[in-house]
Amino acid sequence: MSRAEQAHIEAADWLIAQADGPLSPEDQARFDAWFSAFDRNKAAYWRLELGWEAADRLRLADHSCDGAVPEASRRSRLRRWVPAAIAASIALAFGVHHFAREWAASPENPARMERLSASYSTSLGERHLVGLPDGSRVQLNTQSKLRTRITDARREVWLDEGEVFFEVARRQDRPFIVHVGDRQITVLGTQFSVRRAQGEVVVAVLEGRVQLAELEGALPVRSSIISAGDIAVAAGSATLVTAHSEKNVEQALSWREGMLAFDQEPLSAIVSEFNRYNARKLVLEGQSVGTMRITGTFPSDKPEVFARLLREAYGLRVDDTEQEIRIYR
Amino acid sequence: MVEDSEIRDWFRDEVLPLERPLTHFIRRNWRVEADVVDLRQDVYELAIAGARKCLPRATRAYLFVIARNHLINRAKRARLVSFELVADLESMEGYLGSFDQERQLVARDALRRVEEGLATLTPRVRQIVRLRKIYGFNTRETAHELGIGLDAVRKQTSIGMRALTDYILGADGEDAPEAVTFLRRGKGKQR
Repeated sequence: MSRAEQAHIEAADWLIAQADGPLSPEDQARFDAWFSAFDRNKAAYWRLELGWEAADRLRLADHSCDGAVPEASRRSRLRRWVPAAIAASIALAFGVHHFAREWAASPENPARMERLSASYSTSLGERHLVGLPDGSRVQLNTQSKLRTRITDARREVWLDEGEVFFEVARRQDRPFIVHVGDRQITVLGTQFSVRRAQGEVVVAVLEGRVQLAELEGALPVRSSIISAGDIAVAAGSATLVTAHSEKNVEQALSWREGMLAFDQEPLSAIVSEFNRYNARKLVLEGQSVGTMRITGTFPSDKPEVFARLLREAYGLRVDDTEQEIRIYR
Repeated sequence: MVEDSEIRDWFRDEVLPLERPLTHFIRRNWRVEADVVDLRQDVYELAIAGARKCLPRATRAYLFVIARNHLINRAKRARLVSFELVADLESMEGYLGSFDQERQLVARDALRRVEEGLATLTPRVRQIVRLRKIYGFNTRETAHELGIGLDAVRKQTSIGMRALTDYILGADGEDAPEAVTFLRRGKGKQR
């Protein structure tokens, strides 16, 4: 292998490792040593860094007819709103000005509107990760529905149902707005989840800060700032921000790995959490059993595994049928 | 002593956009095709080392003088040097022309070149580059999406990254800029 090729292979390995997150202290030290050992390493690193950054332009280009992501949509039955008429009506609702600007930018390309406005949904027990055109990423939990509209001027999404985790790419001049019922969440770049259930909006912030505002008419009023480690529950005109705890937030976000994590939660709450994900429901029989408190992490799609644990560790009786799993003392 | 961050900016903004004519220059003056990429890497290494004392004002002239001297030194070491080679290397005016033209070319054509470069990759590498670049997937997510191992994703990403960079910076060398093509036209001793 030539010297140049060797340096480029090593440089690529480092760039790929760094793109996956901060290096461990040991790896960082190894990288520093490699980087400063030879100027040809620097040359290779800077060269690939530039080339790989240039490939970011692909994100702005047309990628509607590609083999990569249709594979994802096929697997998860992800639905996009194809008809341009729907996209156009959304665009009109948000002002003729933006609409005209976008069309002027690509008069020959009506497909562009479709990419700007999209709708994603998941069915029971399904999860799906979606990349948005601005570089942000969203992960839909079970039974969720999200509409997005990302343009050069604004970034807006509507959470119609369920729960979504957002990793918002930082754009200083272009806030990212989540509309959820009578609440509006505004961020510049951060990681957080929003869940909509039974008249409540629950926001858990993993990184950075978000602004949560209540809407009156269409105007935001009474806003509060929620920081990393906070979980806010908004219902009616009340917003409750729970005590700062990064552990709780991580627990609330464990669904992203297909797990459910509980810390001294009553069994009744755990059962309704499991039932969000599975057709085969857990059913509690009798009053007292629901108040038992349980700690642990369980795969969300295996209620029978959880029920078995209840039987073996807590001595509960379990009746396991095809339709449901009944639990009683 | 110039800081690494300054050298990096200079290297990206002023040196790398010259990769195409630089490669062209080396290829026209060196008989062994397999050496070209290594020689270019040597020139980059020497350019960075020299810039550490102070950043050159005229990058283009600086780079091509380094390239010329390096080729002469290598030829001497290999006892290949001939009067003809040195004389040819002295006449490098064509490579010292306007720089702005190239830089604009690079900026304007970047997307087109990325897309063309993408088309030259194998379908699997292309798919991985798209997942990572358009959808922002990391290694783990890409592996999960495609049902393949992490190492396979890293390896294919590396291949895509290197091939795309070569393509974007125009290292294919076949279509050297108009400004330099007159230089050696009609002479027999090429490649």
